[in-house]
This record gives sequence, C-alpha cells and structure tokens, in this order.
Amino acid sequence: MFKSLNLGVAAVALAVSGAVSAGPLGIGSTATPEMIAGWDIDIRPDGTGLPAGEGSVAEGEGLYEAKCASCHGLFGEGAGRWPVLAGGEGTLDTAHPEKTVGSYWPYASTLWDYIHRAMPYPAPQSLTDDEVYSISAYVLYLNDIVDDDFVANKETFAQVKMPNEPNFYIDDRPDVKNERCFKNCADPKSFKIVTTINGVTPTGHFKEDSGVAANHYQGNPSDANGDAAAPQKVAMSDAATAGKAVYDKACQACHNMGVAGAPKVGDVAGWTDRIKQGMATLNDHAINGYQGANGVMPAKGGNMSLSDDEVKNAVAYMVESSQ
Amino acid sequence: MTKLYEPSLPKLMEAIATEAKGMRGMDRRNFLKGGIAAVAGLSSVQMIPKANASANLPPNLPEWQSYLGRGVVAKPYGEPSEFEDLQRRTVPWLTADAASSISMTPLQDLEGIITPSGVVFERYHGGIPNVNPDQHRLIIHGLVERPLVLTMDDLKRMPSVSEIRFIECPANGGMEWRGAQMEALQFTHGMLSCCEWTGVKLSTLLDEVGVKPEGKWILAEGADASGMSRSIPLEKALDDTIIAWGQNGEALRPEQGYPLRMLNPGWEGNTSVKWLRRLEIGDKPWHHREETSKYTDLMPDGRARRFTWVQETNSVITSPCPENPLTQPGFLEIRGFAWSGRGKIKAVDISFDGGVNWERAELKGLVLSKALTQFSFKTKWNGQPWLLQSRAIDETGYVQPTLKQLRDERGGWSIYHKNSIHTWNVTESGDVFNVQIS
Repeated sequence: MFKSLNLGVAAVALAVSGAVSAGPLGIGSTATPEMIAGWDIDIRPDGTGLPAGEGSVAEGEGLYEAKCASCHGLFGEGAGRWPVLAGGEGTLDTAHPEKTVGSYWPYASTLWDYIHRAMPYPAPQSLTDDEVYSISAYVLYLNDIVDDDFVANKETFAQVKMPNEPNFYIDDRPDVKNERCFKNCADPKSFKIVTTINGVTPTGHFKEDSGVAANHYQGNPSDANGDAAAPQKVAMSDAATAGKAVYDKACQACHNMGVAGAPKVGDVAGWTDRIKQGMATLNDHAINGYQGANGVMPAKGGNMSLSDDEVKNAVAYMVESSQ
Repeated sequence: MTKLYEPSLPKLMEAIATEAKGMRGMDRRNFLKGGIAAVAGLSSVQMIPKANASANLPPNLPEWQSYLGRGVVAKPYGEPSEFEDLQRRTVPWLTADAASSISMTPLQDLEGIITPSGVVFERYHGGIPNVNPDQHRLIIHGLVERPLVLTMDDLKRMPSVSEIRFIECPANGGMEWRGAQMEALQFTHGMLSCCEWTGVKLSTLLDEVGVKPEGKWILAEGADASGMSRSIPLEKALDDTIIAWGQNGEALRPEQGYPLRMLNPGWEGNTSVKWLRRLEIGDKPWHHREETSKYTDLMPDGRARRFTWVQETNSVITSPCPENPLTQPGFLEIRGFAWSGRGKIKAVDISFDGGVNWERAELKGLVLSKALTQFSFKTKWNGQPWLLQSRAIDETGYVQPTLKQLRDERGGWSIYHKNSIHTWNVTESGDVFNVQIS
C-alpha cells in the first residue's frame, strides 16, 4: 500500500517537472551542464580540468608574497606550524623527513587543484585562474622544478613531472603478522620501558598537581574557535563590534597565534607601539599591506574580497581587544 | 525550609575545602566546583546548602529529595548532568589553527559503544561550514548515464539503512610513533568515535545515475572551505559506503557534516567526506592533496604507501587508564574497546606483564562489524604493579601487532595507522602511566 503510494507520488512529480531521473527510483532532477560546470573544479594528473589562462613565475612572485608568504614563508620555508612548501630534498629516508611540494608531492596537478580550491586559507576559491597558474608556477620555481621563465598554462602545466612520483606505491598491508601466543611470548629481561616526556600533555582536567594548568588545553568549542585567546572588552565601539566577525573569518588565522610576526590579539605589550602609530597608519598597513621588521602583513590579510571598511572594523576590534 | 545552620561564607568555604581533602581527581574537582557554585549562588537565592556532603548520605534525607525538581520541557533539548564533565579536548601545540585541527573523544568516560554526538572527535581542514539544508545539493556526474542533482528531501525518499560504525582518524596514536608522549587516553586513542549512522547506500545512488562501464573511481567533494576531496574506488562504493544524514537518532551534527556526509566504514576517517556536495565518477583516481601530500605513509626507505584506507585491528584499555587510576584494592573489572576496519572483533586478550603471558578477556554487549566492541576481564588488584596490555583479534584472523613489529616494518615517522598493542603502567599507588616497551 505504502509502496504504491510512493510510486504514485513519483509519477505525479514526473508529470509536473518533466526533469526527474529516469533511474530505477525516479528520484532527483537532471544536473544540467551549467550546474556541473560551476562545481566541477577538480584537476587530474593528466591535466584534465585545467582551464584556459596562464601565469608566469614572475607574476607568481608578487602574488605569492602578498597572499601566501605570511603563512608559508617568503621562500616556502613555512611560519610556525604552517606547511613548509619548498626544500626537503633528500630527507625522506632520514629521521627528520621534510615533506614539501618538491620533495614529496607526486603530481603538479594537485598543486593547482589545491591552491584553487582551498587557498588562500582564509579566502578559498577567491583566486582567478590566471592567479592560480602564476602562484603554482612560482611554488614549482621555489622547488627548482621549473625555471624562472616558466609560463604555466593548460599545455605546459600538464607536462610538469614531479621528482618523487615514482616513490609511491599501493598499500600492501597487512605488512606485519603477530601470533596469538599465550605463554612466554616475550623475554622480560629485554624490556626497555620508555615513559612520556613531562609537560607536553594537557592533563589539567584530571591531574590536580600535573603542573599543567587546566586552561592549557582548549576544552570547549568556544575555546577551539580561538575566542578564549581574543578576550573581548565589555564596551567596544560599534566598528570593533562589527569587526569581530571579520576578524574571525579573515584575521584570526595569523593574529590569534602570532604567525609571521603578526601581533597577537590580546597581547597588550605587542600592540602598544603599534597603536601609538595611530589608527590611520594601522588601517593603511592592513588595507594595503606592510613589510615590517618582524614579519609581513599581506594586503587585507590576503582576502581581497573584504571592503576597506570591513578591514578597518577588524583593526578596531583587534586594537580595542589589545589595549 | 528548615535551615540546618547558617555559617559565614569563609567558614563555608573552609568546610568545603575540608570535605574535599581525601577525595581524588575528578571527585574532588566536581565536589569543589559544586560547593563553590553553591557559595556563589548564596546571595541571589538565599538558600543555605549543607556544607557537609555527608548530610545527603544515609540515614539523612538528601537535599534534592526535599523539594520539587524541574518539570517537563524545562530543557526541550536535554543535556548531561551538571556533575558530568564529558568534553572533547585538543592538544593546542599540535596544529597551526583551530579551523584546521583535531579534537579527541573522551574514551575514558564513555559508557557503551555509542559515542554521544556532542563528543565525537572533530577534524576540520577549513572549519565547520554553516550549511542551510534547503539550499544544499548533491550533484552526481561524470561517467554516468543520468547526471543528477538531489535535494535533501530527494535523498530522504530513498530506501535507507542504519548502521553502527566507528570512524577513526588514521593519525590516531600518531603522536606516539617516535615514543610515548601523551599522558592521557583521550590523547593517545581519542581520534575515534562510534555512532549509528542513517542514510542511503551509495550503491543505490549509483544505480540511480547508471555508472558507465569505464567508471572505476568516485571523487567525493565537501562544501567546506577546504573543498575536501578524496578518490574512492567503485568496489568500496558498491560494498558498504553510506551517504548519511542521520547520526545517533537525529540529523548529523554540523561537526560531522550536516546535512550530508559520506561514510566509508572501517576506512580512515578522512575518506568519509563531510558536507558532501558532489560525487564525480571517473576512470582513474584524482591524487588530490589529502591522498598524496597527506594521508600517505612514509616508509623508512623514503618511499610512501598510498591509498592506505583500512583502519587495522586495534584495542585499548579504558579503565584503568591515566584518567581512571585505581583507587582501592580488591575486585576490578578491566574494561576497554576493540575495533577492526576489516570486520568483527573475534577475541581480545589481556596481559599484565607487558606481553609475556596473555589471558582471554570476554567480549560484551553488541559485537558488530566495523564498530567499537567492549571487552571485560574480571580480576583483583592488590597494589601490585602491572604492565597492562590488550590485544585484539578480528574475524579475518589478524592479530593486533606489537609496537616493535610495526616499527621494524615502518620506521618511526609514519604518522598514520599506528594500531599497535598499547601499554599502561599501573603503579603500586594505583596511578596509571603511558609507557612503551621497546
């Protein structure tokens, strides 16, 4: 009874829209080429999916410094715990392997795909296709994979070969075989007992005298969003209040942790001299970018979709939270 | 209300502190928290709590029995008791930013195989998107006869399944490859949860679009800021992959992919793409960032394994553990979880001497394929030190390996897929420490 009712509903829908699936269940609508084109962003190792357009190493240098270097370092060396992009050749079989684009990544297509879909970190899918070609070319150049006159486009990019490609192989586990032994399975005289290093575990939640403060770990969702590190003053200006959302979206990635020399929100000492320069200067640096002694502030934090006013509000929020 | 006594605030605090002496760990913390909260509430409600906790114990009438409690729908969506402290936790130094980080499930506090939705471990690569389900679509295209766009209503009309399955990050235990590091079960094994998932089998969806003969791989893509993407072979999709909208009896939590996620049972959690917006059928894998740069296993010779999908058989003792020390001698039920990405758990063994001798534990409760499985061993503890271990065997006959076996094969910097036998050092005092035997 119920089944036939469902079929009846499907038949009505078919008659009304005319665009439902002709599959066994008759559920869903045809995905049009226009819909698919907007979402079909993936690039494959043979270059399938690469769009028209092009970009050079030279163009990539400026874009990289403006949009990428604050986290990945001017030469791809990485800042803090953000990913290192360049170097690491010859380290993969050592005790401290450094897995970079040049030393590890098997396909150049992955670089284009990933930069386009997920970078810059605070503003994904904001780059034009030409910009993605340029930045991809520059990252390959930082890794000595292409020369400084390389121009990336659909044809040239698909031909780039990555040095580490041959060193990947398909999972061959199970690779170890333990026996289900019950008696005298190991020699206790050979045991070396290795204990943990003191102080690295946030244990404040269960060890009263662990020496690690309970607030050393981020134990709830608001902490995990970085709110705890950005204490809000009770009375903020309207601009600063509006700027909180911009900060959360576009600024906290660096200003929460202090990446690339970024002054941390709430760090009064770190902000004192900066605030003395006046809001006009701070706004100018935030909007147009700034190369300081300790680090680099990319224009609008690398997120050019922000309006000048949004950036000013975010600056107001950071300043008022750090006085 | 009869006031038993009305001490001054300092005296009350002193009484609380005295009572707290002699309590351990969580009991002491909870008691102090409750006592101090009660003191803080004094001025507003003018209720005098009984400072002495024993006032609630037999033969006295418990304070909470002396007046009416909360009525129905006071909390339309309920929450744990205020005396509980069930929390996801993270290790702040692990990653650069909270929007691309991980938190761990408090396995040490779980009762049974279902992980409450609120404490399922989190892993984001670009934060949690706030997806409006009415405006969310799943597009299926590529090497198919009928490319489809599906609404949430469309998907929920399809024949559905509900399965209890674990999800585990392949980096679970990854901080311990080089040596013992984390002094807490939540951080050594907590990138692991088990829920009931409800959705449509991916095979049903693939029938609906009609996969062309040359279609062998599926790209799954999320609607988050990272545009998470993974290549899934057609064999897995036709076997047991679920496109899920339900979790533990309600809609998926935003943290787990609301309103729609992929679930690849038994496989590394990253393949179970959240906030799923697109499935493309192709002839070859895509080799995207999370299956090349990340989630590949570097071997000592500098080469790397790719497509290391299966989470191999693993187990851990959850009580005792560093968070659950032994507080008194006598009867003890050793408890823990075992799980295998290849199927059901067949058996679990316990060793008290670091793996020299082993005894059989019992499995208890539901024993389901690719789900957390509880084990139990009843014994007595009389203050003797133990090197306590568990060893799981799954239905394929795979025996959970020793750490030495894994290191001999894979070196020490593999990051992922560390499923070795774990050792807790139970000391004479009952405290429990994470150690490795090499």
